[in-house]
Amino acid sequence: MSLEGKVALVTGGSRGIGRVIALKLADEGADVIINYFRKKSSAQSTCDEIRAKGVRAHAIRANVGEPDKIDAMFDEIKSGFGRLDIFINNAASGVPRPALELDEKSWDWTMDINARAFLLCAQRAAKLMPNGGKMVSISSLGSRMVMPVYTSVGVSKAALEALTRYLAIELAPMNICVNGVCASAVETEALQLYVKDPSLPKPAWRTTPAGRMVKPEDIASVVSFLCQEESSMIRGQIIVIDGGFSLSPSGFTPEGGLHES
Amino acid sequence: MTDASVAKTVKEIVIRIVRKPDLNFSPEATFKDFEADSLDVVQILVAIEDHYDIEIDDDELQNVQNMGGFLAYVESKIAEKG
Repeated sequence: MSLEGKVALVTGGSRGIGRVIALKLADEGADVIINYFRKKSSAQSTCDEIRAKGVRAHAIRANVGEPDKIDAMFDEIKSGFGRLDIFINNAASGVPRPALELDEKSWDWTMDINARAFLLCAQRAAKLMPNGGKMVSISSLGSRMVMPVYTSVGVSKAALEALTRYLAIELAPMNICVNGVCASAVETEALQLYVKDPSLPKPAWRTTPAGRMVKPEDIASVVSFLCQEESSMIRGQIIVIDGGFSLSPSGFTPEGGLHES
Repeated sequence: MTDASVAKTVKEIVIRIVRKPDLNFSPEATFKDFEADSLDVVQILVAIEDHYDIEIDDDELQNVQNMGGFLAYVESKIAEKG
């Protein structure tokens, strides 16, 4: 197990993609702290699954959109674990509205959780990584492609990706590797909120040249690789995980057909 | 019949988040009457969860019609905790 003895924090780690990433890191031997927002029962369940793999697990409730909650979370990590080796910035939220219907509160809510939290968490995490570490941000294709009602999230993810590059350079002297992954639509509970919107072109969400939608496990595998020593010369990169979707948004394949899972 | 202290606490939380000190917190009132948007409601739920250390299930809330029902639901969650 390549991450044995490491301590990892996964924000938004109780459900969806974050949960699968947390379990993957535990599979690799890391002790895992999961941050969650509301679902205590889900957090406890994920912690039980992590502990069943023979590593330590700990859940911390915090809305990462609130700076004082971030501070309290890292205080708890410092007192409980003493250090951090891996930080996965996964927690995300958003208000599905087109640009002209976005109000200030919705914008701030989304930006605070999706972009500012990475900055504030990275500042605290870096102090707990005296011997270096790994940080991975979780982005989505909305950072670079326009999707219906995804405006605030897409913009926040673009900021997240830019911040990933800045942190990669600024934290490099501290031997902290910072990278990101950018996924197309993944079949999770969060996606269901958007799929319910009748304006969405549903077949496009479900179509990739690779012939299936991206699974949380696809993302977790790449995140795990970015947490390994072998990937330490990858810095500030955003790895796209989309089965080729962004290269062929119309669903074109060499056979000229469309896949639908 | 709802617990007066729970009603008082929930009302204070709602007033703080929707910023309407004079709202009519009657059993028949709804979040819509308070002009609370979806983010307000999330913040209200989180504040109540934090205060009472309970978990509010969004699916279960679908069956709640008004503040009277909401208070009864919160009280049931507090009672579940023991």
